Amino acid sequence: MPDPDSGTTGTTPASLARIFTDNPDRRYIMFGGKGGLGKTTFSAATAYHLARQGHRVLVFSVDPQASLSDIFQRDIFGKGPVEVIPGLFAQEIDADRRIKAYQQEIRQKIFDMYGFDQIPDEIENYIQAAAAEPAMEESAIFDEVVDIVVAGNYDYYIYDLVPLGHALYYLSMAKVYDEWIERITKLRAEMREYEEMAARMKREAQQLDEDKILGELQYIRNRISTSSRILTDKAKTAFFFVLVPEEMILIDTQKAAQLFSKFNVPISGYIVNRVLPAELARQQIPPYLRNRLQMQGAYLDKITTLFGSEVLAHIPEFERDITGLPMIERMAAAMFGGAA
Amino acid sequence: MGEGRGFFGGLRRQILDFIYGMSTHEMTRQALKTRGSMEHLFILITMGDLLGVPILPPYYSLRLLPYVVPQISTWKRRMLREKDLTDALA
Repeated sequence: MPDPDSGTTGTTPASLARIFTDNPDRRYIMFGGKGGLGKTTFSAATAYHLARQGHRVLVFSVDPQASLSDIFQRDIFGKGPVEVIPGLFAQEIDADRRIKAYQQEIRQKIFDMYGFDQIPDEIENYIQAAAAEPAMEESAIFDEVVDIVVAGNYDYYIYDLVPLGHALYYLSMAKVYDEWIERITKLRAEMREYEEMAARMKREAQQLDEDKILGELQYIRNRISTSSRILTDKAKTAFFFVLVPEEMILIDTQKAAQLFSKFNVPISGYIVNRVLPAELARQQIPPYLRNRLQMQGAYLDKITTLFGSEVLAHIPEFERDITGLPMIERMAAAMFGGAA
Repeated sequence: MGEGRGFFGGLRRQILDFIYGMSTHEMTRQALKTRGSMEHLFILITMGDLLGVPILPPYYSLRLLPYVVPQISTWKRRMLREKDLTDALA
C-alpha cells in the first residue's frame, strides 16, 4: 500500500478532518463530481470515520443506480437504513417501490373521496402515464430524502449524490418547483376570491368549504423548500467536489463549481482522488507509468493554482478497488488521518 | 300574525330576489364564469399531460389529482372542442 501521506502535495489528511471538527454544525455532507471519480467511496469512508468517532451517521444514495450495496458488500437496496457497523447506517432508496406505493395512495384517496368501486379509465391512464415519466423517479427520491431528513434521526447525513448533471438538475428542480407552486398558489387564492364574491352577492350564508387543494399546495411547497434550504445552508451543509488530476475533469469541475455557486451551494473544498504516489518516481518504473506520473504532476500544480487552500486532501491511487469494510477503513485513514 | 309574516316575508323575499336579478345577478354570473375559467387554467397547469402538454414533473401534480377528478371530463371537452362564433357572444 502506498503511504497516504506521501508526495509533494502540501495537504495532509488533517485538513479534511479539521473541516469536520471546526464546523460541528455541518451535518449535511455531500460529495459531488463526475461519475466514477469516487463519490460513493468518499461518502462511505466519511461515514465510517464519523461513526468511529461515536456519531450516528446515515449515508444514503440519491442515485437510481446506486452503489452503496457494492461498496459495503451487502445488499441494502430498498431495505431502509441498514446498520453496517455501530452508528453507521446505509440506505439505498428504491424509487420504483415508492412510486408504486404513491400511486396506490392516490387511488385510495380517489376511492375514499368519491366512493367509486373502480377508478375511471381516464384517471387511471393518467396515474399510469405519470409514473412512467423519467422525472418521476428523481422526484420520488427527492421526496423520500425530505422524509429522511425531516425525521432527524441522525447526527450526520451523507448524501451520495448523482453525477454532476443530475445534481444540478436536482437543485434547479427545487427552484423551479418552488416558483411553480408559488404561482399556482396565487391562482388558487384568486379563484377563492371570485368564489367568495359570488357567494356574497348571492347572499349565501353557507360557509365555503375549506380549499383542500390550497392546503395540498402549501404542503408541497413546504416539502420542497425544506430540501432546497438544506442544500444551500452555509452553516449546516458541507459540499465537497471530487476530482482527479486530468484535464477534462479539471475543466468540468470549474464549470460545475460556477453553476453550483449560482445556486448558492456552499462549497467547502476540493478533494483530489487517484493521485499516484510520488515516490514511484524514484523507483525503476516503465515509461508508461513515468508519463502518467508527469502528467498528473502538471495537473496537480494546476489544481493548486486554481483552487489553492480549498484543496483539502490528495487521496492516493490504491493498489486495488475500494470495496468491503477493511478497504473503507484504509480509505478513511487516507482521508482523515490515522485516527479512524 | 303568522300568516301576515308569511305573506310579508314572502313578498320581501321576492322583492329582494327581484333586486338581485336586476342588479347583481349579472356580476355574480361573471364572477362565477371567471372562476370557472381559472379552474380550467388551474387544471391545465397541474394536469397538462392529460392533453399531452407536460408542463411540469408529475410527482406532485398526482397529489392534486383526486381533487379534480369530477372536473376532468368537462375540462377536457372544453379544451379540445372547436371554437365557433358563439364563443365570442357568450
